[in-house]
Parts: sequence; structure tokens; C-alpha cells
Amino acid sequence: MVLDLTMSMAILALMGALATIAGCLEDLESDVGSQSNPNSQVQLAPQMGFLHRIYNKAISGEPISNGLSAVTGGTVTAVLLSAKFYPLTAIVIGALIAAFIYGIYATTSYAGRVASQTRFKQPLYMDIMRYTTPSIIAHNFIVNFCLVAIAYIQYEILGYPFTIPFLALIWGISVGAIGSSVGDVHYGAEREFQNREFGCGLNTALSGRIVRKAESGLRNSIDNVWFCAKFGGPATGIGLGLTVFFSSWPTTLFGYTWNAIGVGVLIVAVMVVLNRLVEINVKNAYGPYKEEKNEKEVKA
Amino acid sequence: MVAIDPTIITNILLIAISGTLICIAVHFIPVGGAPAAMAQATGIGTGTVELAAGSGLVGLITASYMYANEPTASMVLVLAAGAMGSMVMLASTMFAGSLIYAFGVGVPFASAQIKKDPITGTRQDIYMSKGTQGQGLPTVCFVSGIIGAALGGAGGGLIYYVLVKLYSQSVLIGPSAAAVAGVFTMGVFYVNAVIPSYGVGGTIEGFHDPKFRRVLPKDAFTSFVVSMICGVVAVMIGGGLI
Repeated sequence: MVLDLTMSMAILALMGALATIAGCLEDLESDVGSQSNPNSQVQLAPQMGFLHRIYNKAISGEPISNGLSAVTGGTVTAVLLSAKFYPLTAIVIGALIAAFIYGIYATTSYAGRVASQTRFKQPLYMDIMRYTTPSIIAHNFIVNFCLVAIAYIQYEILGYPFTIPFLALIWGISVGAIGSSVGDVHYGAEREFQNREFGCGLNTALSGRIVRKAESGLRNSIDNVWFCAKFGGPATGIGLGLTVFFSSWPTTLFGYTWNAIGVGVLIVAVMVVLNRLVEINVKNAYGPYKEEKNEKEVKA
Repeated sequence: MVAIDPTIITNILLIAISGTLICIAVHFIPVGGAPAAMAQATGIGTGTVELAAGSGLVGLITASYMYANEPTASMVLVLAAGAMGSMVMLASTMFAGSLIYAFGVGVPFASAQIKKDPITGTRQDIYMSKGTQGQGLPTVCFVSGIIGAALGGAGGGLIYYVLVKLYSQSVLIGPSAAAVAGVFTMGVFYVNAVIPSYGVGGTIEGFHDPKFRRVLPKDAFTSFVVSMICGVVAVMIGGGLI
């Protein structure tokens, strides 16, 4: 399909918005279900004598589980589209089926992981499983919907050479990689160890000693997702949104030329500078942990 | 004696070089694994394979789209498109991650492997929290990651470029050339992202990490051999099983 510049930019903006929502919800899903690297602490806690009421799923690494979920949604959508279903209906049904399958994996994974910790007396809380699993499925449904919608737009409207399931798989892997790299840090380094002083740096000796008390009562995964939705989730959304938008924006505007590549490199250079500004800002704000030797000598 | 077409050998060699590029790329990307997710190590808080594949596959999308729209595009332009896509993905990820380290966790960025950042000259050791291996993404790690992403994206783009040309001539899989080439590129990507993860042992800060020089030659050689085998298989796919 040939699009004029305005329409191309509109499509790109829509894809960027979908990606932002997908990124945000993917991270929140990994927080409410506790997946990826921070889950190592949830897994370790009972071994350290810290029994908890946090969902412990970790189906696999985030990129793989989200890739599986997205490709399932994409495949069902492709099948329904070939049966002449209306695109939106096909995407919704595809995303829903994939989310239910994901829910099955989440349930079995949680039960299996807790069962393997019997010797540490970690109970399997049925109420946690009952009301957290639907939340996982709901989050995953939105992620699948957004990713399959992006794949549909790329395949049907923009004419990408890959099929909907394959594009959905790639975006599923990417959203998992970004969620695992960005939002999980907020969950793992801050929320799980919130009883420590902010910015103290987390000594490895604290591993497994996660916070188990909530703002009210005992902490569960719903409390965690409430906290991470304030920063970790949106930051992950920004990560994927920027990726989808800026990986296509240069070619949309400047065509398939070296100029577009130059603009892409320029965007990356700007991000390097922005990162440096954040680094300077944070170092000025918090200062060094150790005083320099010279300063110590002067004080002496 | 059966004469082998020189084009086939060139294609296999190009795939082997692409795989090696991806392998080298992984060494540049600053990954801290699970400790980095708890701000206990410098780098991005995820695994080598996941991040390298995630960024490389975005590069695959941009490279394939460039080739689909400009079939006459030079090989270098397709590779550059792949590199650009990967760089944008990794830069966005690292920048968003930095925001979390800075404002969500409140730790100053510090590398555990060097005393001063070779690019900015900033002291690193005094910003390192007790009992950790550094935290966050100092400029040197960020730049190293960008270089790695560029290499990985270019490597992925090269495999795709070689295979899509090869498969489009095939009677058997010609109509699905892009799809088969894409899937195979993803496979080679994973193979070459896994090989270095044994060498780096889960964490590496980038080109300034002493581990980089220690493990890179062995990993690159292994990758070259393995990718060459992948290349042979890739070429055989085009001709079918008979």
C-alpha cells in the first residue's frame, strides 16, 4: 500500500503509541507475576527463611515467554484473517487465546516452583493464585493485542516482507528484552529492597532478604505492580516506544537512503549525550560513596 | 571430482563472517545479568543472549524493510539499515534503563573494571557502592553497547541479504524467500549470541573489560566455525533435501 507522508507519519505515531502501551504493560505483567532476573530474589527468599506471599512464576526469560505469547497471538490472528474475519476481531481473539495459554503457563509455573520449595516450608497460597493469575492474563492480553496490531500494520499496511506471526515473534522478543533490561531494575533493585535507604546500593549479602510487608498488611504481587506502575512500567514503555518510532522514522521521512541512516546515527548520538547528562546529574545529586583519599588526608 | 560453485563458497563465507560479527557484537554489549537487575553490577540488567537477540532482531526488521523497498540497494546500505535499527533499540533500552538507575533506584553510575572512564575521564571507583560490582551505565559502557549493536545489526543484515538473494532463486522456496531467510537469520543470531555467553560467563562491561580481550579471540573463532556449518546448512536448504 502506498501512503503519503502525512498518513505514513500517522501510522508511525500509532505504532509508537501501541509499542509504548505494550512495553509498559509487559513490564507490569512481569512485576505482577514476578518474572525474569528479580524473581531470583523471590525464589531465593524462602531459602533464607523469608517466606512470602509473592507470585513466583518465571515461565522462562521474558523475551522467550513474550515471544511465545506474541507468536501464538499472531498465528491465531493470521488464521482468522485468512478465514475473512474482521482484522480487529481477529487480533482481539488471537491476543485473548494467547493470553489464556500464557495464564496456563503462569499457573503451572507458580505451582511447580513453590512445590520445589517444600523443604523450605514455602506455602502455595491459593488466594494469591486465584486473584493474581487473572491480572497476569489481563496484562498479557493487552501486550499481545498491541504487538499483534503492530505486526498487522507492518505486514498489511506498510508491506514488510515478514508475516504477522514472525513480526509478532520479533516484537515479543524485543519487548521482553527491553522489559527485562529496564522495568525489572525498578522491581528488583528498589521495590524488593524498599526497606533499605534510597540509593544506598544493594550489597550482595542482602540477596534473598526481600521486603514482605506492604503499605498495609502482607505484601503481594498486586502491591508490587501498584508501585512499579509509577515508574518502571512507563519507562519500559518509553524504551519500546522510542525503539519502534525511531527505527522507522528516519526511513519514513528521508526514504531508503544514506540520509536516513545518518539521521538514525544522529538520534543514537543524541541518546549518548542524554545518558551522559543523566550520569552527571545523578553523580552530582548523590555524590560518591567513598571519599577520595586526598580529601581524607586534608581532613586528617 | 565435483566442482563447487564459487558463489556458494562466497555465500557460506559471508554467513560465517556475519556470525562472527554477531559474536563480537555480544562482547561489546554491557550486560550485567541478574546482579545488574538488582543494581549490583554494571551494565544492563538482563542476559547476553536475550539482549543481543532483541536488538539484532530489530535490526533484522529494518534491514529487511530496506531491502524490500530498495531491491537494488547496495549490500552496505542494507547492512547499515540493520545496524541503525539495532543501535536505536539498544540506545533506547539503555537510556530508559539509565533513567531507572538514576531516578528509580538512586545509584550513581560506576564501572567496576576501570578507575576512570576512558571517554569522559570521570572517576569510577569512588562511586561504587560497597559489596557491589558497580552499577548503572557509565558513558563508556553506553558507547560500547552502541558499537556492539551496530556490529550485531550489520551481521544480521548481512545474513539476511545473502540468504534472501540465494533463496529467491530457489524453485522450492522462492516465493517464501524473505520468510525463510528471516527465520534462518534469527536462528544464526541465537547460535552466535549463545556461544559468547559461555565465554563472558554472564556479565561483561564492554570493550574496556579485561574479559573482553581474554575471551574474544576464542569465542570469535568458535563462532566462525559454527557459523560456517550454519552457512552450509543454509545453502543446502535452498536446494531441498534431494
